[in-house]
Amino acid sequence: MSSKYYGEFGGQYVAETLMNTLAELERAFEEAIADPKFWEEYHYYLKEYVGRETPLYLAERLSEKYGTKIYLKREDLNHTGAHKINNVIGQILLAKRMGKTKVIAETGAGQHGVATATGAALFNMECKVYMGSEDIERQHLNVMRMEMLGAKVVSVESGSNTLKDATNEAIRTWAKEAEDTFYVIGSAVGPHPYPRMVKEFQKCISVEAKRQFMEKEGRLPEVVMACVGGGSNSIGMFADFIDEPGVELIGVEAAGMGIETGKHASAMALGKPGTLHGMRSYLLQDDDGNVQLAHSISAGLDYPGVGPEHAYLRDSGRAQYVSITDDEAMEALAELCKLEGIIPAIESAHALAYAFKKAKTMTKDQAIVLCLSGRGDKDVHTIESYFSGNGYLN
Amino acid sequence: MNRIEERLQQVKEKNEKAFITYMTAGLPDMAGCAALIKAQAEAGIDVVELGIPFSDPVADGPVIQAASYKSIQQGTNLKKVFEMVAQVRADGCQAPLVFMMYFNTVLHYGPEAFAKKCAEVGVDGLIIPDLPYEEQGQLREALDKTAEAPILIQLVTPVSGDRIPMLLEDARGFVYCVSSMGVTGQAAEFHRDVVHYLEQVRAVSKIPVMMGFGIRTAADVLPMKDIIDGCIVGSHFINLMEENNYSTETAKEYVSTFKKEMNGISCETGH
Repeated sequence: MSSKYYGEFGGQYVAETLMNTLAELERAFEEAIADPKFWEEYHYYLKEYVGRETPLYLAERLSEKYGTKIYLKREDLNHTGAHKINNVIGQILLAKRMGKTKVIAETGAGQHGVATATGAALFNMECKVYMGSEDIERQHLNVMRMEMLGAKVVSVESGSNTLKDATNEAIRTWAKEAEDTFYVIGSAVGPHPYPRMVKEFQKCISVEAKRQFMEKEGRLPEVVMACVGGGSNSIGMFADFIDEPGVELIGVEAAGMGIETGKHASAMALGKPGTLHGMRSYLLQDDDGNVQLAHSISAGLDYPGVGPEHAYLRDSGRAQYVSITDDEAMEALAELCKLEGIIPAIESAHALAYAFKKAKTMTKDQAIVLCLSGRGDKDVHTIESYFSGNGYLN
Repeated sequence: MNRIEERLQQVKEKNEKAFITYMTAGLPDMAGCAALIKAQAEAGIDVVELGIPFSDPVADGPVIQAASYKSIQQGTNLKKVFEMVAQVRADGCQAPLVFMMYFNTVLHYGPEAFAKKCAEVGVDGLIIPDLPYEEQGQLREALDKTAEAPILIQLVTPVSGDRIPMLLEDARGFVYCVSSMGVTGQAAEFHRDVVHYLEQVRAVSKIPVMMGFGIRTAADVLPMKDIIDGCIVGSHFINLMEENNYSTETAKEYVSTFKKEMNGISCETGH
């Protein structure tokens, strides 16, 4: 199999219209990553603009409570509040290099949209962000942020009016406008070379974490984990550890209201291999092969598919994928606030919730490195309505 | 011989242009859809393209998206479409039929079972817009193993460029020339180099060259008439059906008028 695939997963399931565009992109990407100047520029912006490197913080009170060392890779401290910006800087630098003047992006909750709008402002590119009309309603503040940053938010009204439909519309637009437009995909999904590209631009998470952990502990951690929606923070967190067989890799999907209720976003737990958004991977689908709507309290995990490399890591046994319900994630979120003074994104709280379970099977000398992919500022409304709904705050 | 190849051969021998329509399977309902296929066959349609509705029709514009959505809501699925096609064949309709569908629907059914079922009920061709040439291996293998399997139709676009010879190397049935960039159903603003591009395809193609995307009337394709072997109307036909309550008379009238006009016979003198 060629490098377009991860085992049976990946590939380029796109219209003929996009095949030459993808070939052009692949050539430009290969050239860029072989060019030290490209990396120099990328790292310059990561340091000076994004604020990297991010700390690898030993969460002392959590570690004490759960009886094993829990290290948090603080991606929440990045500019714009999450890991998404790492990838956006990489892709927009590539777009510039290719002579494109416009960028488009899809967004669910708005985080990738905000990151793309930010990058577009920084590099003086025209920016359109496709967003489902329902998400626009639910995430009004992020819509405003994108508009303040100069992006045009395009409301998508088709199918379920959410992220997957916004992605469809971004792909349709790209097929029409690829001559001057670069499509910035936010997760480790899409046709080749996107999953590879996103991994390359998120790899900084694990490269830093590995070195930081070595400096602190003089060895490798026992466990590395991250939450998985499409899988961009997790593939970045795994990347530099994949070839370290002693390190256990765990991806945490959203179980929503519980796998058994059918209202979840665990493509790995219950999905079947299928094709969507240009890739072959695990996919939530109904009895007729139509794509099923995902459900999670966290908009960032609310995606019916998963990146193809994760599908491969699962089937090859290199990584393990588990799932955490809305309730478990919210409980972990509250705990991190109270014990460490950090309000995490609900996405990241899924990984935390599983870390607490996993810690019980580990000793106090062992360590978990967890990607705290984003901060929870964006989620305060959701958090409020969740906890007040449950009477938690009273 | 495959029905598509046979029919397009006859059209060519008569020195005429072929006409293909697209309609979303299951609309207005299964019986109505079957009636429309038969009505068009009577009006002289050369190939009927049946869209199998999918939740994420990424190559389609708003008209076909809406039609797909509606059809899914009404409960249309591949199994029911197969049953409908089997009935249409049992009723004696021999019009060439092509499924236009997304690859996930095939994968979900299982490529081998799908190929067999198509052969069994009488589906003659497949158009799968999210299955580019490089990804066709698994399906081709399944089709090759199956007697009387449908033809996998190749799509060519204005930006295919140096890929054209590869795409057409083993192509059968007809080549589907996408006339504009993007998705189905845009107005007839044809890509600036459309004539040049069609000539490029014409020069390489050993099979009929059919042009689609954004066509409404025969007048739209007359400038390209000498280069192409016919054309395909999708979104416009769906709109027309919507506006006319899926009337079989309207469908017949549209098909026969289009065919006459495309072949240079004036309608006014017809009656």
